[in-house]
Amino acid sequence: MKKKGHPLLGIHSALMMIFIYVPIVLVMVYSFNNTRLSGDWKGFTLDWYVSLMKDRHVMEALMNSLVIAVISTVVATLLGTISALSMRDFARKWKGPLNGVLYMPVIIPDIIMGLSLLVLFSQLQIPLGKSTVMIAHITFSMSYVYVVVNARLAGMGRQLEEAAQDLGATYWQTFRYVTLPQITPGIISGALIAFTLSLDDFMVSFFVAGPSSTTLPIYIYGQVKRGISPEINALCTLLILVSITLILLAQYVLNRGKGQKKHKMLPF
Amino acid sequence: MKRTGLLSMLVVGVLAISLLAGCSSKEKLHIYSWADNFDETVISDFEKEFNVDITYDIYANNEDLLAKIKAGGGGYDLIQPSDYMVETMIKNNLLEPLDKNNIPNYVNIADTFKDPAFDPDNKYSIVYTSGVTGIAYNKKYIKDPIDSWEDLWNPAYKGKVLLLDDNREVIGMALKKQGFSNSTTNETEIKAAVDNLKTLLPSVLAFDTDTIKQKMIQEEGWISTVWSGDAAYIVKDNPDIAYVVPKEGATIFSDNYAIPKGAKNKALAEKFINYMLDPKVSAANYEAIGYSDPNVKAMEFHSETYRNNKMINLSEDELNRVEWLSDVGDSLQIYDRYWTELKSGRE
Repeated sequence: MKKKGHPLLGIHSALMMIFIYVPIVLVMVYSFNNTRLSGDWKGFTLDWYVSLMKDRHVMEALMNSLVIAVISTVVATLLGTISALSMRDFARKWKGPLNGVLYMPVIIPDIIMGLSLLVLFSQLQIPLGKSTVMIAHITFSMSYVYVVVNARLAGMGRQLEEAAQDLGATYWQTFRYVTLPQITPGIISGALIAFTLSLDDFMVSFFVAGPSSTTLPIYIYGQVKRGISPEINALCTLLILVSITLILLAQYVLNRGKGQKKHKMLPF
Repeated sequence: MKRTGLLSMLVVGVLAISLLAGCSSKEKLHIYSWADNFDETVISDFEKEFNVDITYDIYANNEDLLAKIKAGGGGYDLIQPSDYMVETMIKNNLLEPLDKNNIPNYVNIADTFKDPAFDPDNKYSIVYTSGVTGIAYNKKYIKDPIDSWEDLWNPAYKGKVLLLDDNREVIGMALKKQGFSNSTTNETEIKAAVDNLKTLLPSVLAFDTDTIKQKMIQEEGWISTVWSGDAAYIVKDNPDIAYVVPKEGATIFSDNYAIPKGAKNKALAEKFINYMLDPKVSAANYEAIGYSDPNVKAMEFHSETYRNNKMINLSEDELNRVEWLSDVGDSLQIYDRYWTELKSGRE
């Protein structure tokens, strides 16, 4: 029997949805508006998207964002997966505190993370630039990968691996043919989340960015201070679409991997 | 196996691209400035002429810039702080003195902008562009002649007045209105100005800096405090807007060239400043970005429309009654306190 919630809960959720999505939808709608001034609707146009493509600085910021996102995703995914795997073998006594440490970047406010990394880099006299932004992104997105892969590992149990080893598989064979295929969906969705986070991050990047490492979010922020132009709306629309696509993809991959079982949503 | 192959190819590819990008043998000039502050053609001409690569990163306000430079420089060679921020940066020992021998075109700068209060003798900075915070109003709704800050207080414009969302600008305006310096450190004067501003509150539609232009263009507001450069921008979209520098005087501001302490390519940055001050380059640059050009020698290369634009080229008479905002030191806390009081009193 299905349990029905209080009717007010439904209204509450509807209001929440409106509250969250109306501003985003507005930005998207106005990105097609045929006038420089944001107020009224003056007809449909794709001009803003065209002029975006022609803008050297936007394209540079886009390239920066992509290069940083791809590299930091690859590294963070590797590191996150490896730590999840190694944590599995730790004695329970250590697991708690170590888990806590690995979860930390998920919880720490961005501004503190950015500031502390900036202090660290200037103490070590590492010149700010793309590499520092990548290191920063790896630092926080690694934790997200860890969380997802860890959940996957916890859910799968040891029976299959034990069976494989009973049947004579070496350690590597077990990993390659039994463990890895099982956690691949977790790794992929972790990677997609890492990519999205890197692409969207403003606060941390802002602190650790140096010459020629202006990412799209930093660029957008700087532009808005000059007045909100329709190009910015177009740029935001593109960024939102890419992010939503990646997150949906992550969900899909994770759910498919879990088979028929109804899967809980990602924790964010 | 296929997936791993693809992934590793991707990694190698991206690494190769980023390495190549970092390996170019050309000299590099790292600029840190406001968004869209230069004409693209002028920049790429400089790159070609002197065989250098320019990187151009942007910040959104002076405080962001200060944070970055204070935290360790960020590796930039050329920055564009506003007037009061130049003063703050000098005090914090964050700027390199400019070598004028490398900038012979400095002589082209109008006398009004040489030796400013925030940087005597232009030791650390050279003005890039400037403007005055005056009154913009819509002639369609406002028929009375406007020439004084007092006009903002006119009850006929109730609910149609827009003010910049900026502590020093707005309190400075009220100070000028009463004949005080816009950078006074006398609390009685500040208090008098803020008390006066409180009587304006019922008329105020909004405190807004980021979209004040849009609000004026779309006629949500009739009268507002605006920067002269923004006024020039507004007029392009709404020709009914007029701009005036009130008779009591007003605040002048500027964005400047400066070189952060420890910049690696100081000489190149100076070469760039000198290049930008060349009359022809200067004309092309300011014509494109639409800000005011402090370069007197460039005037002959400017278009007729540019030269006749009274919001870009303020008259000598108008420039005679302006004052720079200067660093008020610890008194800034007084300004902050009264500002918060003023804005929270609105609710």
